Amino acid sequence: MASDPMEQFKIKDAAELFEIGGQTISWTNSSFWMVVSAILIIGFFALTTKRKLVPGKMQSLGELSYEFIANMVKDTTGVEAMKFMPFVFTLFFFILAANLIGMNPYAFTTTSHIAVTAALAVFTICVVIVAGIWKNGLKWFKIFAPSGLPAIMYVIIIPIEIISFISRPITLAVRLFANMVAGHVMLKLFAIFAAFLAAKGGIVALGVVVPVLATTAIVALEFLIAGLQAFVFAILTCVYLNDVYHVDH
Amino acid sequence: MANQNGQNHASKPTDLNDLGARLNAAKAKYEAVPEVKDDGSMLGQAWRMSTELVVSVIVGLGLGYGIDVIFGSKPWGILIGLCFGFAAGIMTVLRTSAKMDAQNAGIPLGDDMPDDEDE
Repeated sequence: MASDPMEQFKIKDAAELFEIGGQTISWTNSSFWMVVSAILIIGFFALTTKRKLVPGKMQSLGELSYEFIANMVKDTTGVEAMKFMPFVFTLFFFILAANLIGMNPYAFTTTSHIAVTAALAVFTICVVIVAGIWKNGLKWFKIFAPSGLPAIMYVIIIPIEIISFISRPITLAVRLFANMVAGHVMLKLFAIFAAFLAAKGGIVALGVVVPVLATTAIVALEFLIAGLQAFVFAILTCVYLNDVYHVDH
Repeated sequence: MANQNGQNHASKPTDLNDLGARLNAAKAKYEAVPEVKDDGSMLGQAWRMSTELVVSVIVGLGLGYGIDVIFGSKPWGILIGLCFGFAAGIMTVLRTSAKMDAQNAGIPLGDDMPDDEDE
């Protein structure tokens, strides 16, 4: 039994693929489970879109998830942002699938590594920057300097706006990563404690009820968190996409 | 219409009536409890605001430190950076909460500020 709660986050190289500039690119357990989540999502939507007029149970699940993201994009950013709906959709379902897969025993939680969440977050912000400049040209940089202020205020406002923009990808990455790590460590700790108590034997072993109940409760909480964090990531992507369309705020 | 979508036989009218009745029943049940949906996203909003506040301060601090290292202005960069970071955090949280209030009041987002989008 692994008694180290951090053991579950260890990256294991399954195969070394090739080298780029002295850095070995490996096929790891993390990449394996990422591919698994991608395949599961594609499989799910391939199987649930039979395009019947009266949808069955699985088809309405697929349609509901489409409408869920479509409404999120429309409500948060506006109809004009529907171009980005596939992007938000992919982000949401990749994170959701990765989080949920991580809840299975023996599976690896890819979203528990800041490298993964930061890659997603930085990519999201790059999309916002590139789309913003693409659409508005250099006028896009006005999001750092809201109009209608006395000139002296810009000395204060511009650094503040820049800081709050830089902190966006960091909040996205840290929130998802910290939530997944904290939940899984907590789960492991309680489980280890239960095993420890059970191994003691005698009257002490009866105490095993408490950590087992706690573990069960945390599993339920973690399923909530898994969905919630995917939702938060997606809705914040929509909020940040606002900056592409509403430059003067 | 129905034929285009893989429904090759007309469904019996009783089925449709039944479906209509069940839909109405389900809708009535849904409208009776409109607030349940909010619970999850409330937790999400709390997470959002707390991380925004903390990370803004850290980013301000980091930028200040970076300026210190580059220009050798030892304590001042960090001090000013910390202040700006804190201000940025508060501003982001205030902005977020204003948006949330607007959302709760049923004002469509994007219309709460008079923005003349690019023509």
